[in-house]
Amino acid sequence: MTVASTRTKVEQALSRSFEAVAARLPGGHAATEARRAAIGTFAALGLPHRRIEEWKWTDLRSALKEALPPAVGGAVTISVSEIDAALEELAGIDAHRIVFVDGRHVPELATPGKIPGLKITPLAEVLLRSDGCAIDRLAGQSIAGHEAVVALNTAFMSDGAVIRLAKGVRLDRPLLLVFARKAEEGRLVTVRNIIALDEGAQATVVEAHLALPGAAAGQANTLSDVALGNGARLAHVKCTLAGDNASHLATWLATLGQASTYHAFQLTARSGLVRNNVFATFTGAGAKLDLAGAFLGRDVEHIDTTLLIDHAVPGCASRELFKGVLADRAHGIFQGKVIVRPNAQKSDGKQMAQALMLSADAEFDCKPELEIHADDVACGHGSTAAEIDEDLLFYMRARGIPLAEARALLIESFIGEAIDKVEDERLRAALSKMTKRRLAGLTAARP
Amino acid sequence: MLEIRNLRVKLAEEEKLILSGISLQVSKGQVHAIMGPNGSGKSTLAYVLAGREGYEVVDGEVLWNGENLLAMEPDERAAKGVFLAFQYPMEIAGVATMTFLRTALNAVRRRQGQTELTTPQFMKRVREEALSLSIADEILKRPLNVGFSGGEKKRMEILQMAVLAPTLCVLDETDSGLDIDAVRIVAAGVNKLRCKDRAMLVITHYQRLLNYIVPDKVHVMADGTIRKTGGKELALELEKSGYAEFKSKALESA
Repeated sequence: MTVASTRTKVEQALSRSFEAVAARLPGGHAATEARRAAIGTFAALGLPHRRIEEWKWTDLRSALKEALPPAVGGAVTISVSEIDAALEELAGIDAHRIVFVDGRHVPELATPGKIPGLKITPLAEVLLRSDGCAIDRLAGQSIAGHEAVVALNTAFMSDGAVIRLAKGVRLDRPLLLVFARKAEEGRLVTVRNIIALDEGAQATVVEAHLALPGAAAGQANTLSDVALGNGARLAHVKCTLAGDNASHLATWLATLGQASTYHAFQLTARSGLVRNNVFATFTGAGAKLDLAGAFLGRDVEHIDTTLLIDHAVPGCASRELFKGVLADRAHGIFQGKVIVRPNAQKSDGKQMAQALMLSADAEFDCKPELEIHADDVACGHGSTAAEIDEDLLFYMRARGIPLAEARALLIESFIGEAIDKVEDERLRAALSKMTKRRLAGLTAARP
Repeated sequence: MLEIRNLRVKLAEEEKLILSGISLQVSKGQVHAIMGPNGSGKSTLAYVLAGREGYEVVDGEVLWNGENLLAMEPDERAAKGVFLAFQYPMEIAGVATMTFLRTALNAVRRRQGQTELTTPQFMKRVREEALSLSIADEILKRPLNVGFSGGEKKRMEILQMAVLAPTLCVLDETDSGLDIDAVRIVAAGVNKLRCKDRAMLVITHYQRLLNYIVPDKVHVMADGTIRKTGGKELALELEKSGYAEFKSKALESA
């Protein structure tokens, strides 16, 4: 079979890139093996395209115009103030900080001291040591076999945070993982995090994916692998401000142990092309998933949220609420698939996706999908795409609120419903301010 | 003073006039009631005064304190003291009632060249007014009108009116859907706002509300015009005879 001959230039370039940098990617023998296997998988799959159902609105084969050189090695100089400025309100959150710039850990900017029961190791170190557990996870991801983006992540991953929280440990401050792009030439940055909470552990993890001023539009492939032990509780926030024309492919793989709680939120704005792909699997009964997101699109930005929620065991509850504001020719996509396996009785799933359309040229494609194989379940979904309600605007104006302010208030309240899902008050306030600032850019009078 | 002169209005996309020559004057300090059968154009008059889109003024003018009201945007009118209590108040999910009230009050005050109220000043003002309308504190924290009962929504309209302190109050069917206790509370709230600097136009289908808000004048509207004007006793007459007299003419012309 001559697989390569049917591949596009970008696909071929990615495979060549791998050969060029393979020797410089971190890892011992086991990691190298995993990378080789992954690039082989990618070579067989190619980039996802519109004929693959899950990717029909995000055709990477046509959207990715070039394969940027992978960011490997090289020293980075960066100051705390540069990071703080890019973090906006998130900088003010009292958090343990771990910083990655262009896919490399910057140890001097890390702030966690010694916290009993918490172990944070840069992925690069883990790979070098060929730490059995981490490598097992890389190989054990069944999803990697048919997701080209995940395979690429395995092949190219340069660093990330490997976080392990011991049984019963509760972190009092959030962990803030900063992924900043600084390179002035476009680069492919590939990071992977492994977040494992042992039984009864509790934590808040915030991922901030940012572009520093002057950074070139790059490509990012980021993956977070989350494992929640029995009764563990994780609040997981992802803030994606990847920058104009940047592409950002993100995958979250989560397994939820018995009676665990996974509270996740994703804010996406000011990014050229984003795919947020979440795979969440219930592995223990009585677990809860609360997944929410807010996305703001302008210009020709493309923001895709695709979820696969797998009720593999009985008695679990999943909630999804995603809200987007789309201006200009922005394209929002929501695909939410909920599978209820034959034995997963008493599953409870509710899903809602809503978009507020600020322009007639904006587009929102929504595909909720329920695949139910059990009979005693309560599952529902809904979606809407609407313009701002003129009657509401009139009501507000009749109370003296000027048109622009009335519009802004309505849009904020629309998106605010999703942000309200963030339980941590300080985080919620920070995300809310960051969103508000970007909404102002969305609603500013433009031709 | 509110002066409506030969106001002729149609829906933007239709030919038929909804208001076919309304003339009316309400001086400050006065309360006028507008009564009439369904479809007589009462609500249209309220909407046109407040500046709702979708209507086309074919002829006539509306002056408020000598200024051309029809040339103003709805929010400008509000800043000039115009207030419409809606027949069907809007639900605004995600905007707390307090936030909404404060945004509106500050917007009006800015336009009027006044400073914005401090938080304690604002809270005090809202709480006092809410108390007299039997509106619980807890409701003020909820999104505006979302999940409110009919009575709560109407009381909320009067609360907004009290907080914004307009000088021209237009109440559109404020009594509709209310039980008698709610009518009393709402009417007391309105009566409290009666003063020499304030003109009120109370639109109602039933005479009942006018037992509690006693008008200086009553106008009967039918087919888009004012067919009869009288004192408060006119409302009582209508209660006995109904709108038959006015409806029959409508039928003849149809």
